[in-house]
Amino acid sequence: MRRSRISDVALLAAALFFTLISIAPLLWMALGAFKTTAEMIAIPPVWVPDFTYWSNFATLFTKYWPNIANSLIVTLGATLLAMILALPAAFALSTMRVRGRNAIADWILSTRMMPPIAAAAPLFILFSAVGLLGSLPAMVLAYAGFNLPFAIWVSMSFFRQVPKELIEAARLEGCSWFQVLTRVAIPLSLSGIATVATFVFIFAWNEFMLALFLSNRGSQTFPVVISSFIGTGRIYWDYIAAATVIQCLPPVLFAVFMQRHIVSGMTMGAVKD
Amino acid sequence: MSSIDPFVERGPKATALSASAPMRRHQPRLWSGDRFQTGLFLWPTCLFLLVLTLFPFIYSVWLSLHFVRLTALHRKVWAGLDNYASLLTDQMFLAALRNTALLAVSSITVEVVLGFAVAKVFYELASRKWVNGLRSAYLVPMMITPISVGVIANYVFNPQLGVINQLLGAAGGSPVPWFGDPVWARISILLISVWQWTPFVAMLILAGLMSIRKDILEAARVDGARWWHILFRIEIPSVLPIIMLAVILRLIEVLRYFDVIYITTRGGPGDRTMVLTLFTYQQDFQYFQVGTGSAAAVVILILSIIVTTFAVRILRRIENA
Repeated sequence: MRRSRISDVALLAAALFFTLISIAPLLWMALGAFKTTAEMIAIPPVWVPDFTYWSNFATLFTKYWPNIANSLIVTLGATLLAMILALPAAFALSTMRVRGRNAIADWILSTRMMPPIAAAAPLFILFSAVGLLGSLPAMVLAYAGFNLPFAIWVSMSFFRQVPKELIEAARLEGCSWFQVLTRVAIPLSLSGIATVATFVFIFAWNEFMLALFLSNRGSQTFPVVISSFIGTGRIYWDYIAAATVIQCLPPVLFAVFMQRHIVSGMTMGAVKD
Repeated sequence: MSSIDPFVERGPKATALSASAPMRRHQPRLWSGDRFQTGLFLWPTCLFLLVLTLFPFIYSVWLSLHFVRLTALHRKVWAGLDNYASLLTDQMFLAALRNTALLAVSSITVEVVLGFAVAKVFYELASRKWVNGLRSAYLVPMMITPISVGVIANYVFNPQLGVINQLLGAAGGSPVPWFGDPVWARISILLISVWQWTPFVAMLILAGLMSIRKDILEAARVDGARWWHILFRIEIPSVLPIIMLAVILRLIEVLRYFDVIYITTRGGPGDRTMVLTLFTYQQDFQYFQVGTGSAAAVVILILSIIVTTFAVRILRRIENA
């Protein structure tokens, strides 16, 4: 490919420009996390804050640590539950002989596409009927439920790559299907499974709407707390900035380290990157 | 798909065929006869999915056929299709329907055009190692927490303190009222949604561009094709299925767009940025009108099912290609 120096520079400039637009708003908010209340509302704005000023984070952590903990518990719980339920099902659908396999797989895929809002009132009623409303387990169950289709579908594509000969050999040696799953299929697709679990973790960490009506004062997750910062009263932008940094840290790390998998993950594995 | 896993699709009918292959003589014993185990693997998960997703959807339909308040569920009165009829005369609902359609058409159009441009830039630079770093940074908006996207939007679009109006002022422009103005509020939501989702569309198209075989491009160049020939005759036709997929997946996301609007305009001013999800949420949890809310939910559900039907087909086709 021959290209002139000028068009090379133009391409680079364009790439930098697009990237800048993408990250500038988040960076600007992140700078605010190091500003005092006064600096935050100063006109003209304080462009470069004092990065040794960490009091916003300290205040936020001491005051809202329970909510951050709620977020972590719900996210980890949902990820764990979703994977425990997804792996055997994905293995059965991808490897074992199942009647109506394609129909079941399509049904699972289509539940992934359904909007959670359409299940909002029924879930609210269901959880209040069983006395779980406002509890962390309610959110764990709901988050796991809505992420399960994704976890099953993408895990299936990893299990399909496990060589059939190995499974056959394990079966000949007298392994039960459960042993084939835990000793052959899962170890061989570990990196893929880790990717799926990380995706579920981020989706659950980012979830807001379900938490909005499933949580109560004590069980509020961090996104719900952040949303309550933007209200009718006085808005403390310095705390909000610090909260945004905390909330966005896992997804940003995810984007940086998992970049290669994001396209295939977001298209349910249909598009390989 | 059958080329990848030759075993799974075989029902009883195929046994004769597989038995003829000497390697697979033990197949019936190895690959089946475990109804119980298969069930154990599949049923708990399916049951969970039924209770947590399918049941709520069906229950929504049932609720939508009743006059019922969230605070008095036991006093349920059969309503037939009355809730749907009242939706048709509800100005707020009609606005939500219009705005959702408007947001879908405008944001997806901009995202596809802009996304293609971005993808092309990254594609041309793909041979450089450091471009991976830029790509990671570029796709940050699609991964960060949507509620934070809304919070950041509140911050930068703030009429007095917001950095955008400050920069506009410094450049000699006049401040823009953003969320406070009926027209600007819609433009703001469009801008946020485009900011948030163009990376997704761009990265999809980039994956499509990368999968074009290099020898085809070389052959075209050798034959004297200019860049616009390559663009219109090879690149755009090749990524068209991917663009279709992007449009479908984005439609699904627009139908569930909630967090950002909830935290920025909350549907206002008036009904100018009201969307179906927010309308449903407010009916259910602010006015406790679960009947009306569920009827709106069913409308979203039907729209989603239509989109999903296409989505499942396209996903399967691209995956099998």
